[in-house]
Amino acid sequence: MEVPAGFLVVYLLFSCFVASSYGVYFSSLNETIIVTATPTQGQVLKAGEDQITVTWRFNQTYRAGTDSAYKTVKVKLCYAPISQKDRSWRKTVDLLKKDKTCPHKIVARPDTASNNSFTWSIERDIPSGVYFVRAFAFNAQDEQVAYGQTTNAHKSTNLFEIQAITGRHVSLDIASICFSAFSIVSLAGFFYMEKRKAKASQQK
Amino acid sequence: MPEIEGSPGSSMHGVTGREPVLAFSVASPMVHTDRTAKFDLPVDSEHKATVFKLFSFANPHMRTFHLSWISFFTTFISTFAAAPLVPIIRDNLNLTKSDIGNAGVASVSGSIFSRLVMGAVCDLLGPRYGCAFLIMLSAPTVFCMSFVNDASGYMTVRFMIGFSLATFVSCQYWMSTMFNSKIIGLVNGTAAGWGNMGGGATQLLMPVLFEIIKKAGATPFTAWRIAFFIPGWLNVIMGILVLTLGQDLPDGNLSTLQKKGDVAKDKFGKVLWYAVTNYRTWIFVLLYGYSMGVELTIDNVIAEYFYDRFDLKLHLAGIIAACFGMANLLARPFGGFTSDYMAKRFGMRGRLWNLWLLQTAGGVCCLCLGLVNSLPLAITFMMLFSIGAQAACGATFGIIPFISRRSLGIISGMTGAGGNFGSGLTQLIFFASASFSTAKGLTYMGIMIIGCTLPVTLVHFPQWGSMFLPPSQDIVKGSEEHYYVSEWTDEEKQKGMHQASLKFAENSRSERGGKVASAPTPPENTPNRV
Repeated sequence: MEVPAGFLVVYLLFSCFVASSYGVYFSSLNETIIVTATPTQGQVLKAGEDQITVTWRFNQTYRAGTDSAYKTVKVKLCYAPISQKDRSWRKTVDLLKKDKTCPHKIVARPDTASNNSFTWSIERDIPSGVYFVRAFAFNAQDEQVAYGQTTNAHKSTNLFEIQAITGRHVSLDIASICFSAFSIVSLAGFFYMEKRKAKASQQK
Repeated sequence: MPEIEGSPGSSMHGVTGREPVLAFSVASPMVHTDRTAKFDLPVDSEHKATVFKLFSFANPHMRTFHLSWISFFTTFISTFAAAPLVPIIRDNLNLTKSDIGNAGVASVSGSIFSRLVMGAVCDLLGPRYGCAFLIMLSAPTVFCMSFVNDASGYMTVRFMIGFSLATFVSCQYWMSTMFNSKIIGLVNGTAAGWGNMGGGATQLLMPVLFEIIKKAGATPFTAWRIAFFIPGWLNVIMGILVLTLGQDLPDGNLSTLQKKGDVAKDKFGKVLWYAVTNYRTWIFVLLYGYSMGVELTIDNVIAEYFYDRFDLKLHLAGIIAACFGMANLLARPFGGFTSDYMAKRFGMRGRLWNLWLLQTAGGVCCLCLGLVNSLPLAITFMMLFSIGAQAACGATFGIIPFISRRSLGIISGMTGAGGNFGSGLTQLIFFASASFSTAKGLTYMGIMIIGCTLPVTLVHFPQWGSMFLPPSQDIVKGSEEHYYVSEWTDEEKQKGMHQASLKFAENSRSERGGKVASAPTPPENTPNRV
């Protein structure tokens, strides 16, 4: 029984080193959804202030009935290649469950035949960057079966920019200065007082 | 010429190998206990404690210990506070991978210099003011995080906060004034290990604070800035506690310390020369860069690694990262213990093998950490890596006292600086470039650890041998006396300056290991000033 046990351990270890590769691949999906968004090429929007209106519909040039499998549509805000550069946590990977291109959810809706649209206020935790919008269609098993996006296949057209909030507040700045001043002043105060006490006791 | 007892580098604990590692008290009859002094702990003639009572807060000795290690712990919290929040900060400040990596390098580089200056500051102002000055002046730098707008601001602030890691020096210095040199090794080792735990605690603390502040209504990009106020307040609070509750000496008298500090017991130039020209110093500077250095590096990168690679929530990544640093509680003393244990049977050769085994095992686990794709395995390898690296830190300082008797202080300081330098270097090479992923970086770092630990095979003591070579058979060259007394010129020997080294050499004979009987101590009891 030693050999099978040893083999099992090796197999388990080996399987943990090898990446699990099941799942849906982006390259297997067809772009059967037409997605449009209000920002124009190069437009700069402000997080926390501006809005994006997204509309999507099934592309009728594809065979009718293809979209019968679509149960839900999830629309996402995605990073353009320039915002992914030197930032491996936003990397595009073909295996969709490992893909980090589109982390920000705009809306998820059950799929309907008529024109779908949604107006989204850009949330305050969206970072600065260049973006496009992509919609995924999911089947009943919650797997991606189709997609659509506002940009071309190379992700080079129709990109817009979002400027994030700084996260800074005047009240924070003031509090920071006050506490810093307190620290320095109390240190100096202690030092001065002890020097005075030492001098006074020396004179005694 | 008697050296100043308790001055940094004069610790004799553990150097003979005959004293038990976990000596909680001085059992030697040679340490004269002063029974007239009214302290909570038994003290020697200089009123330094001869007993280490861990759970006491008695003034002044144990209170000093706790104030000291908690201050050091606090600076570790502040220095590594940004690390678990990087996933949020990188979005707020639009950082690239090299920005994050460079900021990590900056956070550990500042203290290379501040640690060197801190010794002089403690000599001038005393360790209490040295410590208080450092943590209270670095509190504003922590609060400055609320002003940061971009990558360069982020890097600058992390660099400035990193200066505060010099509390290591004030911590060790302060306890040398409070504890007898026979137990100072344990006291300092415990304080160093517990202080290092701050690097782990912060990975737990900051994400929790962030979540609480977010729940209270702040947006993420503001919440992380508010979270930084807590380490800043900790700095201020500890500074005030140190100033109000602490005292420089057991008798509370600062001016006496200043008078003592003026007495130069040895020429700095000479001490530096013997440190720098001993090749073993440089090997250990390199080695410590790959035990302590990689520990600091991991403190900076591991939370982000778990967040990205395994898609964990921020606070969960923080908990896992915290386990790495918190292992210091036991892992570092464990390394010292195994070093002493191996020395009993195999002498210095045992210590060297022990260090090589621990550090290389750490390197192998680091290599595997970067390769595995499953979370439980990654955590396992991370913990094994932490034990290996931290025990190697402990084992390193089990060997350092034997490299030189005359220059022990400087060699310890250089080794410590080597740790920070190694951290900066590994972060720069492996975690600041976009050409390979963090996972690959960990694997390559593991390979570099294994490679940079090999030089320990070159460390050869003529009197004890090295990993592969036996000790020299020459009667003169193969004696401990010859090795330690060769640091003194004939002139100095005529003045009798080498007496301490002679005594040390005699006591170090136990590093031969095995059943070798040590030379009996001379009948006339030497005073406790060695």
